[in-house]
Amino acid sequence: MTSGGWPLVEVAARLLEGDERNAVLGDLQEASETAWHGLFGVLGLVFRRHAQLWKSWRPWLAGFGVAFPSSLLLMGASLTVSWSYQRLLCPELLAKASLTPRSGFLLLLCQALVLTGWSWTGGFVVGRVSRRTLWASTVLCYAPCLFCLTRYRVDSLSRYCLLLFILPAIWGVRRGLRISTIRLSGAVVVALGVTVLMIPAWSGGHPHWWTIDWALSLPAWYLVATSWKSARAGAPA
Amino acid sequence: MLGEFEYLLITAAARLGENAYGAAIREEIAATTGRKCSIGALYTTIDRLETKGLLKTWMGDATPQRGGRAKRMVQVTAKGVQAAKGFYDAVARVSRGASWVTERARSIS
Repeated sequence: MTSGGWPLVEVAARLLEGDERNAVLGDLQEASETAWHGLFGVLGLVFRRHAQLWKSWRPWLAGFGVAFPSSLLLMGASLTVSWSYQRLLCPELLAKASLTPRSGFLLLLCQALVLTGWSWTGGFVVGRVSRRTLWASTVLCYAPCLFCLTRYRVDSLSRYCLLLFILPAIWGVRRGLRISTIRLSGAVVVALGVTVLMIPAWSGGHPHWWTIDWALSLPAWYLVATSWKSARAGAPA
Repeated sequence: MLGEFEYLLITAAARLGENAYGAAIREEIAATTGRKCSIGALYTTIDRLETKGLLKTWMGDATPQRGGRAKRMVQVTAKGVQAAKGFYDAVARVSRGASWVTERARSIS
């Protein structure tokens, strides 16, 4: 292997896990491969490793089952929270919606809590279910956001109101990456909280919204199911 | 049943014995078949065979000729030997009576 191409091969090998990186780079050096052969060899192995991950249902669920649809739906929920906040600041709009400042504030609080719960649980499931394909889930989450941001045409609200869900979702992903499962009691509290709060938060909306609300609550109930399964298996929750 | 490349890998590792590791197995396969195998094919197949319990691997010593990097040592398990034997027997059975086999037998005798 020529010394000039070696750093490039080493950079590519960073995509492999520690022990495998050591073994592969050592093999290439021992076989005196050219830099290009080495680079293609390493990239081929990286590609095969990633392709293998997609043979499982996990990255498909995390990316196409949670990250992509949730980001679309949560942008809508983020806008609803922003509108509720705007309405709270304008007495005329509050009166038009037959709300008092107190009931308007409670509604906003419920909506904000539900949005946080949906985003956090969705993020947690994405982080937990498929850690090694997180990059793909991230792309599938941000692609619709970018699309909607470029086509946003509401003058009264900033386009960034679409992204209220992002921070709790990132928080959830980080927790999902660090811990494999949460306590059953905690999971039940979160799932029940989200389900109960979504009744007043989105009551009075279009009947189809209920389906969307339930779809967004599924990650929370998935957490309950997995925590229950771990608790039954005797694994530390 | 094993695949062709899986059989080649197990046989090469068995022939190398205690010296079986990534680079040596690649070299053995290239020397005996005349075909170079890629690093990607080698390591993904080693993983697959290890998952099936046909191989055992561990990280070995580092040597100066490898830039101080460790080897991934490979050992064929008893189950791996059985699987390779099964593949070889199947190939031998299915080849019985084939023209290239009878010609070869004639040339040997």
